[in-house]
Amino acid sequence: MTQPSFLILCGDGINCERETAAALRRAGAHAEILHINDLAAAPEKLARFDGMAIPGGFSFGDELGSGQILALKIRHKLGKNFFDFVAAQKPIIGICNGFQVLVKLGLLPYPATQQRVMALAPNLQGGFIDRWVTLEPGANSVCKWTQGVDAFDLPIRHGEGRVVFGDDAVYDELKDNGQIALTYSEDVNGSHQRIAGLCDPSGLIFGLMPHPEAFVYQATNLTPQRDFMAAGAGAQIFRNIVTHLTETNKEKVYAGRQH
Amino acid sequence: MTGQKTTACRIEIESTIPDRRLEKRALAARDGLNVPLDAIEEVKVYKTTGGKAEDLAAVFADPVLQQAHFNNKEYKFIHGAPAFVVDVAFRAGVTDNPGHAAAEALALSGIEARVASGSLYFLFGGLDKAGAEKVARELLANDLIQKAEVYPAHDFYARDRFKNISLPEVVRTADAKPETISLDLTDAELESLSRERCLALSVDELKHVRSAFKTELTDVELEIIAQSWSEHCRHKIFSAEIDYNGEKIDSLYKTTVKRVTQDVQKARGLDWLISVFSDNAGIVRFDEHIDLCIKVETHNSPSALDPYGGALTGILGVNRDILGAGLGARPVANTDVFCFAPPDMPLPAEEQFMPQGVKAPRRVLEGVHKGVEDGGNKSGIPTVNGAFFFDRDYAGKPLVFVGTVGAMPHTLPDGRKAAEKQARAGDRVFMVGGAIGADGIHGATFSSMEIDENAPATAVQIGDPLTQKRMTDFLLEARDLGLYSAITDNGAGGLSSSVGEMAQMTNGAQIDLALCPVKYPGLKPWELMVSESQERMTVAVPPEHAKAFLERATRHGVVATDIGAFTDSGNLDVLYNKESVASLPLGFLHDSLPQMKLKARWNGAKPRVNWSAQTQLQDRTRKAESLDTALLQLLQSPNITSKEKWVRAYDHEVQAATHVKPFADGGAIWLKPHGGAEDNGISIACGLAPRLSLHDPYLMAQCAVDEAVRNIVAAGGDPDMCCLLDNFCWPDPVQSAKNPDGAYRLGQLVRACQGLYDVCLAYGMPLVSGKDSMKNDFKGKDRGGRDIAFGVLPTLLVTAMARVKMGTVPANAFRAAGDVIYLLGGAGQGLGGSEYAHIYNVAADAPSIDMEQNIALYRKMHEALPLFSSLHDVSEGGMLVALAESMIGGNCGAKLSGTFDAETAFNEAPGRFVVSVPAAKREAFEKIFGAKAVGTVTDDAALSFNGVPLPLETLVSAWKKGF
Repeated sequence: MTQPSFLILCGDGINCERETAAALRRAGAHAEILHINDLAAAPEKLARFDGMAIPGGFSFGDELGSGQILALKIRHKLGKNFFDFVAAQKPIIGICNGFQVLVKLGLLPYPATQQRVMALAPNLQGGFIDRWVTLEPGANSVCKWTQGVDAFDLPIRHGEGRVVFGDDAVYDELKDNGQIALTYSEDVNGSHQRIAGLCDPSGLIFGLMPHPEAFVYQATNLTPQRDFMAAGAGAQIFRNIVTHLTETNKEKVYAGRQH
Repeated sequence: MTGQKTTACRIEIESTIPDRRLEKRALAARDGLNVPLDAIEEVKVYKTTGGKAEDLAAVFADPVLQQAHFNNKEYKFIHGAPAFVVDVAFRAGVTDNPGHAAAEALALSGIEARVASGSLYFLFGGLDKAGAEKVARELLANDLIQKAEVYPAHDFYARDRFKNISLPEVVRTADAKPETISLDLTDAELESLSRERCLALSVDELKHVRSAFKTELTDVELEIIAQSWSEHCRHKIFSAEIDYNGEKIDSLYKTTVKRVTQDVQKARGLDWLISVFSDNAGIVRFDEHIDLCIKVETHNSPSALDPYGGALTGILGVNRDILGAGLGARPVANTDVFCFAPPDMPLPAEEQFMPQGVKAPRRVLEGVHKGVEDGGNKSGIPTVNGAFFFDRDYAGKPLVFVGTVGAMPHTLPDGRKAAEKQARAGDRVFMVGGAIGADGIHGATFSSMEIDENAPATAVQIGDPLTQKRMTDFLLEARDLGLYSAITDNGAGGLSSSVGEMAQMTNGAQIDLALCPVKYPGLKPWELMVSESQERMTVAVPPEHAKAFLERATRHGVVATDIGAFTDSGNLDVLYNKESVASLPLGFLHDSLPQMKLKARWNGAKPRVNWSAQTQLQDRTRKAESLDTALLQLLQSPNITSKEKWVRAYDHEVQAATHVKPFADGGAIWLKPHGGAEDNGISIACGLAPRLSLHDPYLMAQCAVDEAVRNIVAAGGDPDMCCLLDNFCWPDPVQSAKNPDGAYRLGQLVRACQGLYDVCLAYGMPLVSGKDSMKNDFKGKDRGGRDIAFGVLPTLLVTAMARVKMGTVPANAFRAAGDVIYLLGGAGQGLGGSEYAHIYNVAADAPSIDMEQNIALYRKMHEALPLFSSLHDVSEGGMLVALAESMIGGNCGAKLSGTFDAETAFNEAPGRFVVSVPAAKREAFEKIFGAKAVGTVTDDAALSFNGVPLPLETLVSAWKKGF
């Protein structure tokens, strides 16, 4: 049995690294939390990993727009090693602040061109909001992380999560490409067409505002549950990607096994 | 630092999509300030000392959302032409978080420059210059930390604001030589010395310095003494010898707070108290793998001056207490409790009666709330419990309580106990975190000093969550690597307190202040020693680990500086550039202060003192109404109504461990994600009953504890594994000519402490940490120029933390039609102190408390948790409100049998719950509790009592009114 290995980025105000790592471990992956400055000192380490997570948080205090400075840091400090990782078609998940970073880097929605065609703007209801919301998978979504999911509930916790496109035609294109991975069942932040999560055309790079890592166990359900160790709805997102990696690369010996 | 004015550059960032956040402010201006403002638009401004336009644009502007401008630009807005423009910028030396982050961003792109941030606000509508200035002052900027220039729009556009750019800069030329101060003075001269230097030392204390230390001392020595002996650090009132109606009390702290913990520990043989009253936070063992520490602080004066900055530094400060408990714990949950004047004050007719210089209640509420939001959210700590309490007596001094729970392993990787710290002589003194500025020198006492353009704003500090988050990540890593031997936070008193206190571990320390990193030059040695610049910890590092400690700090982007060593010299020695500026024997500094002697009198309740002629404040009380109408009135009272929109702004689920969210009676955290046992959790709750202080503070303290414990029980907490924290906020209790009520207020404090002792003993619950704040008064003028003086309601906040078994917590609201409703703990009586009595101006007796009966009930309830379908305590508003809340939360109806009057419906007697039980468990339940059903849960969406149904949606719309 092979075990894919994930890098979980931390530092500079990222604050969901521990639960994101725990979620990936529960899904069967090896997960290593690495400080961005440690990674910047040896960016070649990136190649050892089969996938990457940029967790939620308030990197650089959200100054200059959430995700902006961490995106600059990734571009300038991890540079070629990071973009090689992307080019190698390894899965990347950006959750909340991580999604904002992927957008600011231009990796979503089009990593090939890195063209900036969308943004995550301040919520239209006017501020940070923590609430649970029902999510629905996008029709024909190619996202590897959300394959086979039905409607499910997760918490959102953000102040800047409203998807805005520079040109509305982008939306139609994304829809046709199956890049709309998740939508909210109701309007929570003014997001275009209630988009909650998007993927790149390969379905491997996935950004979403809701927090799947916050609901991996029933213990953190919105209402207290007796069966607290049972899986929460967020667990399937991580299980999906681990299953995808192990099934499509059966022959591959994962880096994670060596740990 | 010089200005580099030749290359300075101004960038304006225009948002190309609408921003709804500004609409709230425009509404606030219309409704709260009575200014005809239709809309506000904001353009962000950055000034840099270098960089090319195209490079800067790529850093500062998002191509989809924004546009960067480098030249004079006349903005077009959908609202037409603006009437006024307000240009807001930070004053020199004020923490500018966007500016600092922007400088880091530029450095990543290869541009080395300083950055200052600001905003332009465009005001639309029929307002005049005075109205625009009011909006600027009240809504857009705080004069203590920001400069706001108001221009008519055409004047603003007429000048070229992109020319002659300068960044705010602190210019100080101070002599690094300490001043020598002689105490060979008359009493009157000593008093004026204390006042002029903001020492807050009494004449007797200065005479004690003269006799026990020396007559000629340096300003550094005197300032260290003043900080170490301040009420804030030393709790002189709680330690005082008190003459209470002729009876002698040798320290309220020793004879009540500390004693009850010792008595409870002995009586119950508790083995889970790991560290109480000695460290930065109380430490308890509710888990086989990890220990928990908890601390609650107040930040009242800073929040009165700058609600946002005060609350932000408050929450970050209490987080550091946790980081500095034992060898350091990880903050895992925050709590917050606010006591403010009602948010609808002042009505237009009341404006001139409000205290001068204090922000309007609404601004305090919004600012404090935003500070707690940013402090918790940006640090990645969930806010799991809190409360709002409104009363007009908080109009002069808002109370802001912030608390944090931390988790640490029993044993660190190197085998040391995490709860114990021990520095050794020879260990290096490291200052970690932010640099030192003049921030917070002498705290709030300097707030009235004149502020000019180049003077650093010292009165208030703004927290920097990013710096603190980096420091926290680093220190927890250094802890696990075994790189330090002791740690404490730099809070009140700065280095003088942190180094001075840690020096007691080894019996000495020597530091050189010239080594400390500074925000700007020109700080005097005494200023470096007592500055309260934020985000700093003091750490003892064994010399063999100093190199590794520094390396890891640098890797985390954290500044750590070796400023000296712990010694066994018996002295706190302070150098500046290798020359001695202070040398203080530790015994003198910490143990020589003579006990204060105070008078306390209690001769029963006194009517509330009206701080403004009551007839001039609008009478909000109502004439008696039907129970239906009264219920709806209560549901929309600020003390009861839904706080959902405020609570949702706090991240309450980060760290993925929040088991009970903050909309129930108490919050609960799962411990497994923090290294605890799989089936283990804790509940956290609070209680307070300030209006009962007007009846008897003894009862007030008992009811505050009871409410906290009720909430714990409702959140599934085990009353036999429950610890408490006490936070007293009192009006000045020291009798003097200026404070004629002092002895009575101290009498109230004695009563409260006695009540606290008795209830803790009866409930078998130890106090593990506490704090007191004793000068919560306003003395000055109202806005009409009349003299007014008043204190807050004597307030005791009780915080409780208890063990929870995962999977056993019942719902907080009704769940299923057919469930049987019971009122546990009896019908209660006595409307005194209730919200009903307040709204309807009813003079009534206070309720009574039966402590033995209550704790017996709580233990029984805890054992019977599986029987309950739902569990909700009866508190503000009484039984009928608790019932309505249970319906609203569960979207169910309820049919009650029997009839009620106002007293049975709305009294707030302690020890009671509204519960529901599945019909199948009815018999088992009644056998245990001997209770009689009072009704049933229904699915007809109405509350039926006294025969008349009241639709659920009517209840919901009253309760959802909010504020």
